[in-house]
Amino acid sequence: MEQAYAIEMLHITKRFPGIVANDDITLQLKKGEIHALLGENGAGKSTLMSVLFGLYQAEEGVIKKDGKEVEIKDPNDANRLGIGMVHQHFKLVECFSVLDNIILGDEPTSKGGFLRKDAARKKIVELSDKYGLSVDPDALIEDITVGMQQRTEILKMLYRENEILIFDEPTAVLTPQEIEELMQIMKNLSKEGKSILFISHKLNEIMEVADRCTVLRKGKYIGTVEIKDTSKEELSHMMVGRDVDFVVHKEEAKPGDVILDVEGMTVASKVHHNNAVRNVSFKVRAGEIVCIAGIDGNGQTELVYGLTGLEPLKEGKITLCGRDITHASIRDRNTHGMSHIPEDRHKHGLVLDYSLEYNMVLQRYFEPQFVSGAGFLKRKNIREYSDKLIEQYDVRSGQGSVTIARSMSGGNQQKAIVAREIDKEPELLVAVQPTRGLDVGAIEYIHKQLVAVRDAGRAVLLVSLELDEVMSVSDRILVMYEGEIVGELDPKKTTVEELGLYMAGAKRNEVAK
Amino acid sequence: MRKFMKNNAVQSILISVLCIILGMLIGYIVLLFIEPSGAADAILSVIKNFFFYPEGAVRTKYFGATLVKTAPLVMCSLSILFAYKVGLFNIGAAGQYVAGAALGIYAALALGCNWFICLLLATAAGAALGALTGALKAYCNVNEVISGIMLNWIALYSTNMLLTGVKNPNTPYTINISAKNPDALLPTLGLDTLLNNKYASVAIPLVILIVLLIWVILSKTKFGYELRATGLNKNAAKYCGMKEKRNIIVTLIISGALAGMGAAFLYLTDIEQWQCSASSVPAMGFNGIAAAFLGCLDPIGSLLSSFFIQHITSGGGYVDKTVYCSQISDLISSIIIYLCGFVLFFREYINRRIALREERELENALEAAKAEDSDNKGGEGK
Amino acid sequence: MKRILALVLALCMVFALCACGNGDKDAKETDTPNETTYKVAMITDSGDITDKSFNQTTYEACKAFCADNDVDFQYYKPTADTTEARVEMIDQAVADGYNVIVMPGYLFAGAIVEAAPQNKDVKFIALDVSLGDLLEAGVTAKGETYDYEPDNWKLEDYVDMSNVYCAVYQEELCGYMAGYAAVNLGYTKLGFLGGMAVPAVIRYGYGFVQGANAAAVELDTKIEINYVYGGQFQGDADITAKMDTWYANGTEVVFACGGGIYTSAAEAAAKVNAKVIGVDVDQAGIIDGDYGDGITVTSAMKGLYPATYDTLTDVIVNGKWADYVGKIETLGLVSGDDPTLNYVQIPMDSTQWDDNFTKDDYKALVKAMFDGTVKVSNDTTAMPAVDENHTTVSDQGKIK
Repeated sequence: MEQAYAIEMLHITKRFPGIVANDDITLQLKKGEIHALLGENGAGKSTLMSVLFGLYQAEEGVIKKDGKEVEIKDPNDANRLGIGMVHQHFKLVECFSVLDNIILGDEPTSKGGFLRKDAARKKIVELSDKYGLSVDPDALIEDITVGMQQRTEILKMLYRENEILIFDEPTAVLTPQEIEELMQIMKNLSKEGKSILFISHKLNEIMEVADRCTVLRKGKYIGTVEIKDTSKEELSHMMVGRDVDFVVHKEEAKPGDVILDVEGMTVASKVHHNNAVRNVSFKVRAGEIVCIAGIDGNGQTELVYGLTGLEPLKEGKITLCGRDITHASIRDRNTHGMSHIPEDRHKHGLVLDYSLEYNMVLQRYFEPQFVSGAGFLKRKNIREYSDKLIEQYDVRSGQGSVTIARSMSGGNQQKAIVAREIDKEPELLVAVQPTRGLDVGAIEYIHKQLVAVRDAGRAVLLVSLELDEVMSVSDRILVMYEGEIVGELDPKKTTVEELGLYMAGAKRNEVAK
Repeated sequence: MRKFMKNNAVQSILISVLCIILGMLIGYIVLLFIEPSGAADAILSVIKNFFFYPEGAVRTKYFGATLVKTAPLVMCSLSILFAYKVGLFNIGAAGQYVAGAALGIYAALALGCNWFICLLLATAAGAALGALTGALKAYCNVNEVISGIMLNWIALYSTNMLLTGVKNPNTPYTINISAKNPDALLPTLGLDTLLNNKYASVAIPLVILIVLLIWVILSKTKFGYELRATGLNKNAAKYCGMKEKRNIIVTLIISGALAGMGAAFLYLTDIEQWQCSASSVPAMGFNGIAAAFLGCLDPIGSLLSSFFIQHITSGGGYVDKTVYCSQISDLISSIIIYLCGFVLFFREYINRRIALREERELENALEAAKAEDSDNKGGEGK
Repeated sequence: MKRILALVLALCMVFALCACGNGDKDAKETDTPNETTYKVAMITDSGDITDKSFNQTTYEACKAFCADNDVDFQYYKPTADTTEARVEMIDQAVADGYNVIVMPGYLFAGAIVEAAPQNKDVKFIALDVSLGDLLEAGVTAKGETYDYEPDNWKLEDYVDMSNVYCAVYQEELCGYMAGYAAVNLGYTKLGFLGGMAVPAVIRYGYGFVQGANAAAVELDTKIEINYVYGGQFQGDADITAKMDTWYANGTEVVFACGGGIYTSAAEAAAKVNAKVIGVDVDQAGIIDGDYGDGITVTSAMKGLYPATYDTLTDVIVNGKWADYVGKIETLGLVSGDDPTLNYVQIPMDSTQWDDNFTKDDYKALVKAMFDGTVKVSNDTTAMPAVDENHTTVSDQGKIK
């Protein structure tokens, strides 16, 4: 028997000046199913969800709830219809407890206006047990992990008895283990009759958890498929419009001289009293990609900060191309062979309110080709250089060099950073999660660039949380666990399972000198 | 036309004008509440300012007076906006202004320096106070607003103490510089005769030069590039190796120097004397905040907005005091500034209107195209 | 950079409006009053017309005169306490068609020097502006350095007095009367609380000391005088605290001399049922009204009201400007027989006369002062000499 639809979006069209963001898109969500919405950045997923959430009004098309046509004018309407959303960036008050965050906006009060939390607490604990969320209602948001924060958001929806749950790229911020747990939670939810809309561009996750998948591309509806009848390759083809290579093609590495030599590096932690990085030593040679693998929060960030000069070392020595740079300034490192694709492109990588061209010269604006002796910027040269990089690295933006970086898509922002850092022709490229939050097309592109840098005889230090990436791109893997390097592995001789054991701290070996 | 409207600059202009008109309107309504009969006259007086005088020479004189008083205001608004570009809210500009006044006046009256030395000392005093705020921010992570406010008071009372030494015994004010040391007066360059106002001095052209200089520094130089990058994203600035601590200090030094110089531009004309019993910092530094924001945080914008604010402030003097208090112009300018807070809202509104219209036109065009298709070619052209 | 146009536009708008406004302004100006129509404007100094003292008295006198004689009257309050702002108000009054301008206070010296020559058709009447004040302003305006020795300078070389009349008062005389009266009325512990140490205030104070001393010698009694300046013309908590100390240590009456500073003295006096002496005008009504009946012993008055009213009458009604113009008149005693005609006096009605000091005693004193039997020094350079056996002066400088 045909299952009833919880929500239907039929023939939705939404135009913005210059583009049609959604062009005749149909999405039907069955009751109790996990329905994936797949598409590259800019494919129109967010616009569609905004229409569903009442943030935009569609010019054409109708929305039906349980078969009845409804009008959603604002998020309040959406809430009344039982539609809840876990945003990619959580909407939580950091200094409030989990309980307070959940009841925020819907506070149970007594007649005198005093909060009555007992009933709410009971309900939350019940919900938490029922779906296996195991959240402590009294913990402060700022004290709990990202995964826990996400569960708080989920609980918030459940507390409000939402029937339709939208997850907007929920795994982007999670560690592999947390992703695993989230998948389980989603399955539990659907078993209990909740309908889930799962927005993602990670094919593995969709394959694992979803029942059906709707694919969008460039604002158009491509199709809806049953997951059990399809494959990763087919989905990616639908998404990108061409075949995507999941295997990174590369020659055998030909390691040359030691470019980077780290000895006994120790970096203090900002969050706890123990050191974040403890007595770490390793070497990176020219012509190889060395990958630091590990679960997020095991000191990788601090290792990179120490390496690039953003944080001082407590102990240890760093040698780059034979030169001691332990105490060198950031500028000194940047101009003497080190490039850095930062972990957080919005925090460190870009000045979002600067134009693209100004961002393109962020690491070299002080060079004589861009600044005159009197301190005036040579804007013509900057423009030419920026245009050249845009062309060469295929950075797409609305208005080219003068586009404000903030208005660009995440993938193109990242491409701009990659272009800027690689074009410096560094001896050592430090790339930290360079593909985070990007779609497959962009990931493929960036992986190729990393390999190209290696093949040009330069050293690459890649920090990644994605096991696939670690396995396919690197020539050598260093696993970090609790601030130490617990193992050195050869990607050709190891398995994902073994890698996972190292990352979880269950196994360690002597690091090769 | 639409392209014109979409332009950021044009929008800023429209919004500023809108703020001004709305501010006047609300001011007018307030006046109506106080006393309906004189409201129209009063608001007109405020707008007219020196046009109150029918006669050419006197009118020029008060045009000159407005210019003379605009000069320090421009400097204060530059001080605010310069720091703001680097992400610092230099509320201490008021105190830096006071420090400038202190050393400028002291050098003129007690040390008998000439105007150039006085000007330099005033600038240096402002810069030193700015440096202090900057150092506290950079090395001790003390919020510049907090330290700025504290230093405002310290500067005020130190200035009162210092300048009591050169006080006119018969008034609470310092001695007239023109009486004690005319050499310390800013040179007039013939502007006094041109503007028929003896206080008109080199400060007026200097201010315009400084505005241009600040504009050039911010938008054309490597230094400005670094400063703005630091202001927009401190972390990115650090990431690419800019010396953010140094930049913070340098910024506040420049910001303070501008405010201190502003004070010299007022007090070294002798148009006003320092009141040694002052119990609050002169409003100039705070008015600078208003001028900077009304000028959309642009150096040239703040030149014009400062003139406008001074224009209506001076205009407030012509309001019939038997009906209204002279603070009415302050009220109107504060309403205008308050409305500047809605700049984003207005901008959003304009953009939404444009988008709406474009959509509608797009649809019309599509329909027209369809109609034309079915109509065959060469149908009714209209 | 492009945003600038914002303000250009705004300013254009402003100027456009102004341009509209100008037409009718010019039209108004064409019917400027002819020579016989006078319009009186008064400009306040740093205070307001509600200061219960100098500005208020002048304002009331002008207003009364203009109401009595059907003359247009308006007062102007400068936006700042500077010469520039005062000149601006003069210009404004002139532009509004006022041609007699009354200015109370020595602060106007600079404004007179600057504005009088530019407005030849306008008559300037300045109260309390002395030769020294004018010279200081005039000499520095010429770029020379004034040495505070009026004798070294010729006024006509520096100040154009062709349309100016100034009046100053012999405050030392009424200060003397108040001091003399206080001691005769049985007070032996006196206080003097001046405003700012400006010449007029000093004259009051030194006159007070001289009068008290003279009475002490006559009565062969011992008196003590506390002497201080508040450094400002308003009362505040610091000054009140000082007064509290005085009264607590036995001071019986304080001569509160300077604008609104009486509030501090009266507030402190009211707490311990002590007394004050008023200044400038008969302040008994005001002070007693605010702080309790009988608190004001007497007031050292200078005839601001009559001087203003009479001068305006002579100039406007009687057409005797020629008798006044160019003069710096010293107003003091004009009658030995009727003290109420004098420009300096103490009030006949509200002074707390008793058997030890009657109205007749007062009249005798005035007569003696008028005919020169009693001499009062107007020197402001040093505290007057007193009889050490009878009078102790404790000069406490300035409070702030």
